Amino acid sequence: MQRKTLSFLLANSLAGVFVALLIIFVLSALLSPYFLTSYNISVIARSLAFVGLVTVGQSMLLILGELDLSLGVIGGLCGVVAGILMMSFGINPWIAIFLSLALGAGLGFFNGIMVTQLGLHSLVLTIGTAGIYGGINLVLTKGVAITNIPKEIQFLGRGDVLGVPVPFVVMIVVLAIAAFVTLKTPLGRYIYAIGNNAAAAAMLGIKVNRVRVLVFTAAGTLAALAGLLMVARLGTAQPSIGATWVLPPIAASVIGGVATTGGVGTPVGAILGAAIIAIIENIIVLFGVSPYWQGVVSGVIVVLAISFDAISRRYMRRDI
Amino acid sequence: MKKLTVALLTASALLFTGAAFADELPGLTKKDSFRFVIVPKVVHPWFDLVNDGAKHAAAVIEAQTGAKVAIEYSAPQQADVVQQNQILESTIATHPDGIAIDLLDPSGNRAPLEEAIEQGIQVSVFDSVPPEGMELTAIGNDFCEQAEIASERLVKLLNEEGEVAIMMGVPSAPNHAIRADCHKKVFEKYPNIKLVATGIDNDDIETAQKQAAAIMQANPNLKGWVACDAAGPIGIAQAITEAGKAGQVTLVGLDNLPEMLQAIRDGIADSSSSTKPQMQGYWAVMTMWQKALGVETPKTIDTGIAVLTKDNIGE
Repeated sequence: MQRKTLSFLLANSLAGVFVALLIIFVLSALLSPYFLTSYNISVIARSLAFVGLVTVGQSMLLILGELDLSLGVIGGLCGVVAGILMMSFGINPWIAIFLSLALGAGLGFFNGIMVTQLGLHSLVLTIGTAGIYGGINLVLTKGVAITNIPKEIQFLGRGDVLGVPVPFVVMIVVLAIAAFVTLKTPLGRYIYAIGNNAAAAAMLGIKVNRVRVLVFTAAGTLAALAGLLMVARLGTAQPSIGATWVLPPIAASVIGGVATTGGVGTPVGAILGAAIIAIIENIIVLFGVSPYWQGVVSGVIVVLAISFDAISRRYMRRDI
Repeated sequence: MKKLTVALLTASALLFTGAAFADELPGLTKKDSFRFVIVPKVVHPWFDLVNDGAKHAAAVIEAQTGAKVAIEYSAPQQADVVQQNQILESTIATHPDGIAIDLLDPSGNRAPLEEAIEQGIQVSVFDSVPPEGMELTAIGNDFCEQAEIASERLVKLLNEEGEVAIMMGVPSAPNHAIRADCHKKVFEKYPNIKLVATGIDNDDIETAQKQAAAIMQANPNLKGWVACDAAGPIGIAQAITEAGKAGQVTLVGLDNLPEMLQAIRDGIADSSSSTKPQMQGYWAVMTMWQKALGVETPKTIDTGIAVLTKDNIGE
């Protein structure tokens, strides 16, 4: 019976990463008395939220067989532009947020158009656009943060709903929408079909380029949302926002079962992967790991988490 | 008998008052163990020296009082305020007795700092300026004075004429920005000194080297360099060496990392206007210790500046 339950769990694409997350969670709780405190859990939830929003967008692109390395920079640029609109032009903060989200959508749309219309590889193209967007960020700010962001929007980053940090609530809502779209709508089926075989999808009548542009646009919007929430959290629009959102969303997606070749995985799995990374970042500090060892420790845990999924599946297949 | 009674009553009253007074004074309750966390801007050798000073202070407290003092060191992998805040928040969750932090951006760091204080954790800042309105003890030196010493020395070495450049560190770091501003003000005082370029190295030696090399290519008549962070002058020294311009371009550096000292010994750099990182770490722990005991600490502790030259740095 237990073996059957385990087999069922492992047959499910999310089970491996979920069990890995559970093991890391339980071990952390057993080894650190601080891990399960409400404050620490809210710290993990909040840090997961920002990178999680980018991860949702990046995972959908990966399922589609694409990649956008400029998402972190889009988050930073949109945060800075919102700060400039609010502080230098005196625009209403909510209008500034809306305009910055539109900018994020526009930048993602631009990436999508360039990829589809010029036939460029998204990896190469977005290395270039990341340079452009990051450069514009520095031109606008000269590297200096925009301070005194209005208090009325700071609850978006600092506030909570029944003890749950607002950014985490936002991420959960976004994740629910993304999960619904990918798993329950024709658009979701098109994304998987294109990710599996774009040429075959086109032959079936799916408007491949339109779907690609749409997902790039959505990913850009989510990156902008993450950047804006971070501006609200910090109370300043930092030019460096998003600098650390490049590789973790890709790593989280892969840990969560999303194939870099496309067509496999879900945004939910990617978020579970992001949660593993967020917990590792947290426990490294809780355990007082030397900064010089942090890269090694977090790398080993990530490799173990990925291996656990692969090895357990192989073991069960052989044993059943 | 009456006199004796009065005398006894007076003595008891005095004793009682003395005891009550002693109870009210902070720092008199014995505490057997302390745990302090040092949060620098980034993984960087300069902060290792701060950590050395912090450990020294812990050893001194242990030796003198018998209390156990643990020093933890938790550094962001990149000089990024978001990453530093994550570390700060995770550190707060462990409820240490004190946190000493070099702020990457006072405004951006404010929210977690307020959370630390709300939770009764003592906070001292070092090598940076506390957020406006927050009463935190700041340990460091006068950043402007440090920059002025370097730029005035460069101006004198150049006989008050020629093209000069500034290497900024992290532009949003207040201490780096203050130094850059003060360098500029010194140069503006001398009509024949022309500031031709400002590089940004983000406190990274490789970036500093690339920026310095490019700036020297673009400005072949450049005569002198000053920097705003510890990584900057090391990168500049490398660029000067690679360009074969030792002796033609004068560098007055900053701080006392081993590579900086070597550049002075090798004659690539003239000197360095140095902070005292070990002393900053030492006093960061001492202030956290005092605050953890309930003792009020000064608003600022100035650790001073040392001018390092070939004559005083040794072999």
